Amino acid sequence: MTETSSSAAAVNRGDPISQFLDKIRLSSSAATRNTNTMMEEDNEESPTELNTINSAGGFLIVSPDKLSVKYTNTNLHGYDVGVAQANRPAPFKGLTYYFEIFVKDAGVKGNVAIGFTKEGFIMRRQPGWEVNSCGYHGDNGHIYRGKGTGEAFGPTYTTGDTVGAGIDYASQEFFFTKNGAFVGKIPKDIKGHLFPTVGVHSQNEEVSVNFGKKKFVFDVQGYETSVRNKQQMAIENISIPPNIGYGLVKTYLLHYGYEETLDAFNLATKTTVPPIVIAQDNAMDEDDSSYDLHQRKTLRKLVRNGDIDAALANLQDWYPQIVQDDKSVVCFLLHCQKFIELVRVGKLAEGVKYGRLELAKFVGLTKFQDIIEDCFALLVYPKPEESPVGYFLEDSQRELVADAVNAAVLSNKKDVCHLHSRLELLLRQLTVCCLERRSMNGDQGETFRLHHVLNNNSTRR
Amino acid sequence: MCYSTDNATSKKVITRDEWEKKLNAVKLRKEDMNTLVMNFLVTEGFVEAADKKFLSFPFGETAEIDLATITDRMAVKKAVQNGNVEDAIEKVNDLNPELLFHLHQQRLIELIRQGKTEEALEFAQEELAPRGEENQAFLQELEKTVALLVFEDASNCPVKDLLDISHRLKTASEVNAAILTSQSHEKDNCLDVILVLFYCEQTDPKLPSLLKILIWAQNQLEEKAVYPHINDLSTGLLEDPSE
Repeated sequence: MTETSSSAAAVNRGDPISQFLDKIRLSSSAATRNTNTMMEEDNEESPTELNTINSAGGFLIVSPDKLSVKYTNTNLHGYDVGVAQANRPAPFKGLTYYFEIFVKDAGVKGNVAIGFTKEGFIMRRQPGWEVNSCGYHGDNGHIYRGKGTGEAFGPTYTTGDTVGAGIDYASQEFFFTKNGAFVGKIPKDIKGHLFPTVGVHSQNEEVSVNFGKKKFVFDVQGYETSVRNKQQMAIENISIPPNIGYGLVKTYLLHYGYEETLDAFNLATKTTVPPIVIAQDNAMDEDDSSYDLHQRKTLRKLVRNGDIDAALANLQDWYPQIVQDDKSVVCFLLHCQKFIELVRVGKLAEGVKYGRLELAKFVGLTKFQDIIEDCFALLVYPKPEESPVGYFLEDSQRELVADAVNAAVLSNKKDVCHLHSRLELLLRQLTVCCLERRSMNGDQGETFRLHHVLNNNSTRR
Repeated sequence: MCYSTDNATSKKVITRDEWEKKLNAVKLRKEDMNTLVMNFLVTEGFVEAADKKFLSFPFGETAEIDLATITDRMAVKKAVQNGNVEDAIEKVNDLNPELLFHLHQQRLIELIRQGKTEEALEFAQEELAPRGEENQAFLQELEKTVALLVFEDASNCPVKDLLDISHRLKTASEVNAAILTSQSHEKDNCLDVILVLFYCEQTDPKLPSLLKILIWAQNQLEEKAVYPHINDLSTGLLEDPSE
């Protein structure tokens, strides 16, 4: 397996074992970000108060605490509305966004409005009267979705009422509430960032805003829970082939060479009452997967125990073609691991010697340069396991090398073209579907994270 | 990357190549997959296989606890499957008396939240006080819960963490309650059956749920895009969208 690519990025169609180098790079960048998650957390901030810079000055005043507005004008026409937006747009993460207003004084005409608008909204018009905005108006209980005429929607509201406006990212809808009761929802046709907005439009109208500092009157959590429950129920009702889990687990164990576990598993499935029948749909496929199972198991065990010399010896015996090219990725990973094992037990001098002997040839090759440098850095720290390159000393690194060796042996057999177990294929598909859907929603809403699913008791976050 | 839109259905079209690129870009951790498989082995009762320690790196607290109690949990699950609910409830109570207490406590909290003070007090006296007498910790919990009655705005009072726990339990029990009704069981003590189902839920493997989510996610995306599906879960093969 000679490397021809000089770029650091792995191309799966070229040398599939190179992907393991990328996995190491992922650990490295995760360490730099000081986080254990594989996906980045967006640190989106939520609205906290009203924006006093762009609010319709001359028509309204914003209170010093920036959580109240009062109309100061006498309204004469449709272009002297007092409008205020929140200081930030609604964040995209999470299932919903929600805020409330309290009508302190409905004034002469009760023309209060709550809704969402975009940056650059004409701050003399009610939310909903212009395109790319929406508003629920208190004087007539109508909903306005981008033009001057609205549609009947809900009850009117006035002094003493608490009205809420929210975005449901899962269903891509706006929803509104009044005094803790759900009023209704409309499709959200507007894309991009949206600012919570409030409008007042007659003498003495005064409204205060709650962006979450105080408890909401409407039970948003309960609403989210019921949305999640409905979704979960729909998912529970989906039928999958019986015993498919067993088949997937079996092929997983075969693929990665967990021979002992597989033997115990096979025995158990045959001896349960009634015996579990795993559909053997593709006998040839299983032969491919069970290729050299015993050797692969042995190699994995050796690597997992840090016994790299024995692993290399066995490879030389059984699969000389894999270690023939001593600049291959597999050789690199194994020699690197040997170095790591020496550092682990404090044999630094021996490590340096080994490095000079076996790793020097990789220095200067773009493909390996960054990883070698990080790995050698282990020598510098008195407590390498606590250093930024400490991930090399973790179990996961041994697992990674074991997986790479396993993949190298598997790819020996010409028919075996999958580098991924079936389980992995399914999980990838699942992740991409969720990501793609979220992306089509403008990156709004909750994301699917396998790591969270596995460590929580619920199956979806 | 440019995507074409299918004019007839106005769905975004994603080609096989583009889709495969996205698939290859997914970062799946081996540890997570091992955890998933371990969870399956453990919850399905393959104690021997799970014990082979092929996952010698820590796979999280939950899995370790699972392994320890797996035989007990399997017994509970069997009892429920055989329709022997009373037996199951007894077993759960033996194994985890806190769970039953917490569920009753949650019901009490709900009554308090709904302002049904008299009913709440009655319930507390009948159901919870006896357990409080047996167990000092329970008694303290009970006192904390009843204290909720005193505060008008329960969510801001010092014992509001009770409401959080109750929310979590409520979520689980709501789902289970829905499943319960949809399977039209007829049980007298619905609350206790919910408890048992909740307990059992933790003994179900996550893998099948993930497969269901996959199907669901594919259907959801189908509404907005044309893309390669996996139609046969057992092969995991990508199939081009049929046009």
